[in-house]
Amino acid sequence: MRHWRHPIALAAISLLLALVCTPAVAHSGSMRGGFGGGFAHPLFGPDHVVAMVAVGLWGAFLGPSAIWLLPIVFPLVMAFGGVIGILGVPLPGIEIGIALSAIVLGLMVLLAARPPLAVAAALVGAFAIFHGYAHGAELPPGADAVAYSVGLVVATGLLHLTGIAFGQLARWPAGRMAVRAAGGVIALAGVAFLAAAR
Amino acid sequence: MSAFFSGLVHPLVIPAHLLALLALGLLIGQQRAMLPPLVGFATALAAGLTAIALAIGETAALDVLLAATALAGVLLALAKPLPTFLSTALAAIAGIALGLDSPPEAISLAAANATLVGTGLGACLVLVLVTAAAHCLTRWWQRIGVCIVGSWLAAGAILVLALRFARGLMF
Repeated sequence: MRHWRHPIALAAISLLLALVCTPAVAHSGSMRGGFGGGFAHPLFGPDHVVAMVAVGLWGAFLGPSAIWLLPIVFPLVMAFGGVIGILGVPLPGIEIGIALSAIVLGLMVLLAARPPLAVAAALVGAFAIFHGYAHGAELPPGADAVAYSVGLVVATGLLHLTGIAFGQLARWPAGRMAVRAAGGVIALAGVAFLAAAR
Repeated sequence: MSAFFSGLVHPLVIPAHLLALLALGLLIGQQRAMLPPLVGFATALAAGLTAIALAIGETAALDVLLAATALAGVLLALAKPLPTFLSTALAAIAGIALGLDSPPEAISLAAANATLVGTGLGACLVLVLVTAAAHCLTRWWQRIGVCIVGSWLAAGAILVLALRFARGLMF
């Protein structure tokens, strides 16, 4: 009976985090400034949501060191992408890059791929630039800089934690199937985003 | 008395100051030598607040504070032991920047001074509390959490610096 407690607790935490992070309805570019605006921005784009969750899910397959490395690498590189976006430096294929991030990261989860940690970090970091650029470029002009940035980063981190929490189900055979299936769904969603971006 | 209390809560209500204190406190709590950076911060903060009391002009204090926050966040994420002089220097830079970025809104001289004293005590109190809390986080997953928070703080500070630059607000 005791070994049932962990998956149930993990599933409950995943559900709670998913409920907090669910309202995804595509880029509108019209979010208000402040913490709420920054917090809502990653959540108001399903392409961002699935990619962030995929980062957490993949971390669970890659092992304990990846669970902490990927959520650390992503915000730092995303900030670099955000700086490029804020400064208006042209970067082609942003939406395509974001859609590809969902496809590739979803496939990594689906296939339970375990490349060297440096390769995984480089891949996640490369996609983080596209996500950060989109956040930076779509920043409302009147936003409170500090509150907006903190909201943006915290929401991104919570999406990662959602993926990590759900990914912990991979410790059990049935949970592993569920996590890999979630990767497949994310990859399919990425294909839809790619079709819409072209 | 209200001027003192408004100063006391000042570091908590200014997001950039709170971010800096969180990043610095977590970083100091991650290190073996905690006293030198804490003393360095308090001394530099007192110097910054004194300069404000002596009506120093506009400075780049906020930008320096954000840069110090970003650096502290990156160092937190790396989770490596730092030389004491480096953590003390970073704490001192953050302290003086925080002090210079805390001009009181009070009209009378007495109220302004009370606000500055409150700000100094409030900032030191927050830093000591965060440092003590961080020092107690010894389990592996707690240390990982601190690293992740460090990367969030660094990312937030970097984005704010870019925004300030793009809007022409940087000193």
